[in-house]
Amino acid sequence: MAILISDKTRILIQGITGREASMVTRHMLDYGTEILAGVTPGRGGQEIHGVPVYDTVKAAVRRHGCDTSLIYVPPAFAYDAVMEAIANGIKLLVIITENIPQRDAVRFLYAARQSGVRVIGPNSVGIINPADRVKLGAIGGDNVERCFVPGRVGVISRSGGMTAETSWMVKRAGYGVSTSISIGGDALIGSTIRDLLELFEHDPGTEAVVTFSEPGTRQEEEAADFIEKGGFTKPLFSYVAGRFTEGMPEGTVFGHAGAIISGGRGKPSAKMERLKRAGAHVVDHFDQIIDELRRVLK
Amino acid sequence: MGKLLEHHSKELIRKLGLKVPNGGVAAAPKEAERIAAGLGSPVVVKALVPVGKRGKAGAVKFAGGPGEAGAAAGELLGMTVGNFPVEKVLVEERLDIREEWYLSFTYDKEKKMPVVIASTRGGVDVEEITRAHPGSVAVRHIDPLLGMADFQAKEIWSDLGVGGKLILAATALLVKLYHLFERTDASLLEVNPLAVTSSGELAVAASVMSVDDSAMYRHPELSEMVQLGSERAWRPLTDLEKRMVEVNEADPYRGTARYTEMPGGDIGFMCGGGGGSLLLFDALVANGGRPANYSEVGGNPTEEKVYGLTRGILTKPGVKGLFAAHNITNNTQVDVLARGIVRALNDLGIDPSTFPVVVREAGVNDSAAREIFTAAGVEYYGEEITMTEAAARMVRRMGAAYPGYLRREGN
Repeated sequence: MAILISDKTRILIQGITGREASMVTRHMLDYGTEILAGVTPGRGGQEIHGVPVYDTVKAAVRRHGCDTSLIYVPPAFAYDAVMEAIANGIKLLVIITENIPQRDAVRFLYAARQSGVRVIGPNSVGIINPADRVKLGAIGGDNVERCFVPGRVGVISRSGGMTAETSWMVKRAGYGVSTSISIGGDALIGSTIRDLLELFEHDPGTEAVVTFSEPGTRQEEEAADFIEKGGFTKPLFSYVAGRFTEGMPEGTVFGHAGAIISGGRGKPSAKMERLKRAGAHVVDHFDQIIDELRRVLK
Repeated sequence: MGKLLEHHSKELIRKLGLKVPNGGVAAAPKEAERIAAGLGSPVVVKALVPVGKRGKAGAVKFAGGPGEAGAAAGELLGMTVGNFPVEKVLVEERLDIREEWYLSFTYDKEKKMPVVIASTRGGVDVEEITRAHPGSVAVRHIDPLLGMADFQAKEIWSDLGVGGKLILAATALLVKLYHLFERTDASLLEVNPLAVTSSGELAVAASVMSVDDSAMYRHPELSEMVQLGSERAWRPLTDLEKRMVEVNEADPYRGTARYTEMPGGDIGFMCGGGGGSLLLFDALVANGGRPANYSEVGGNPTEEKVYGLTRGILTKPGVKGLFAAHNITNNTQVDVLARGIVRALNDLGIDPSTFPVVVREAGVNDSAAREIFTAAGVEYYGEEITMTEAAARMVRRMGAAYPGYLRREGN
């Protein structure tokens, strides 16, 4: 079992003909993930690695019944692409596009909430469910097993690259992942750590969750509140990077757009403290994830 | 977000037909004198720097006439405010203010909505207003798709106890400023104080504005006003940082190479991506290392970009070692990183047997990377060690190469 995606997921890729999207399409297919359709306006009727391309999401959904869209369109067109997906009944959106204007993100995230559509990202590298060999996005590249093997640990990462490294640490500890999710490095994203902990709580295939965090936002504080309210009862292992930023002048941006310390809020040390208080296994050094997983999961 | 200096945001606000104090920009005391003489009234002289809380920093001065204005400008032009040297001042007529209000627009990151904050008790920090007069602050979220309706703006002021002719003017002003906030892709627009003058007029006495870097492609009209990437620095960019921006911008669509100079330090830090760099920097510091810079390299950069950045990193005075590491990459070709890094080492005549270089680069094409680094005599690791272990190894190498390294001040 896993969360969000499985071998039943009916996948569409918006912006499939782009350079990166086309490469990712090939890697996804090589991994065994079924991709039903792609959309690029003006390229309808073509194929990308055997995947049929349509001009509109409407046509792709009508023909293939897609329920999930992976969005690779450039920032200037992302807003319209997301609204198109929502308007055509897509239920899960994974937005890879980076540098989407904040105003556009706020608007489409609002529209998605109103329509009950789940959004991962923007600025995500994707999601993977290794047991079903389903991945959406560049996550794992062309050598997926290096980092992602099937197992019972969920991974949530605010950093795309660290989604792989964190899953690799889980593997190194002797376990595997149920689902690994790169939730996006932006300050404004569709699904937060708290939202995904809720899904992992209800997934019988997930025994524990590891999170990789950065400075900024209130995601860790919200996750801690959620745990204390009894919303998440499985073991949670957390690492928060960027403690050195606390010695820097306020307003400095390091790491992703979400990693900004402002007004004393969003400090890694405060996040670690808060998560500890809620009962999470918070590690000082990333390598301790391995020992902690072995100690707690046995 | 990129910050706009005050005279720029006021220019945008003036174009909306709203009242903004008359004035001008001066780069020398004489110029300030002339502007003050032209205004023919008491003036306010403000340092034009992209820094908040200028009043508290002593960067706002009042002057009775041209002579005083020139003197005030003279003082300010020699100052540094929040690490920014004052190169220009804004000389404005001093309004006859009856009341000071507050108005701002920004995004509430938790609710993921635009939000307006309004108060009839302005003139001080919004944090202070909220603390001292919680009842006189209105915080309202705005539907991002529908925008701000006139009646909603009117309700805000009415809730704050504003009535009569002022409520009409305040409603129109709020709606106009929200449109400006939206239309310019601003991330913050703050008017503080929003002045009610003795003649009962509303005037934008001071404004702060920043816009979203990511949206600049659709705002050529703002390009002259905004310093891109200014949010990433707490001080003006250094010469080396400017050169590194050029290296990155030379091929903007092929990977990113961001560079930030740190005070002091001796380990050149050539790392990525966003989260990985944070972790690696922390790990070096935890082991007693002193990184000389911060960097984020990712998104499959070209060899040229990697080369340029590595060269820049090694050029900073005091750098006595190089640490090149990433998380296991999803799509960044690490053999390309290897070629760029090794070329920079060779060009600078650096011998990795005496100058500590530790590399941990695993991921796409890492067997080729291993060959390139090993052939160059560089201590290379792939996925046989973790990122944290690599950082510890780097600091040990520094310790071995430079006796007393780990006992020095700061450790």
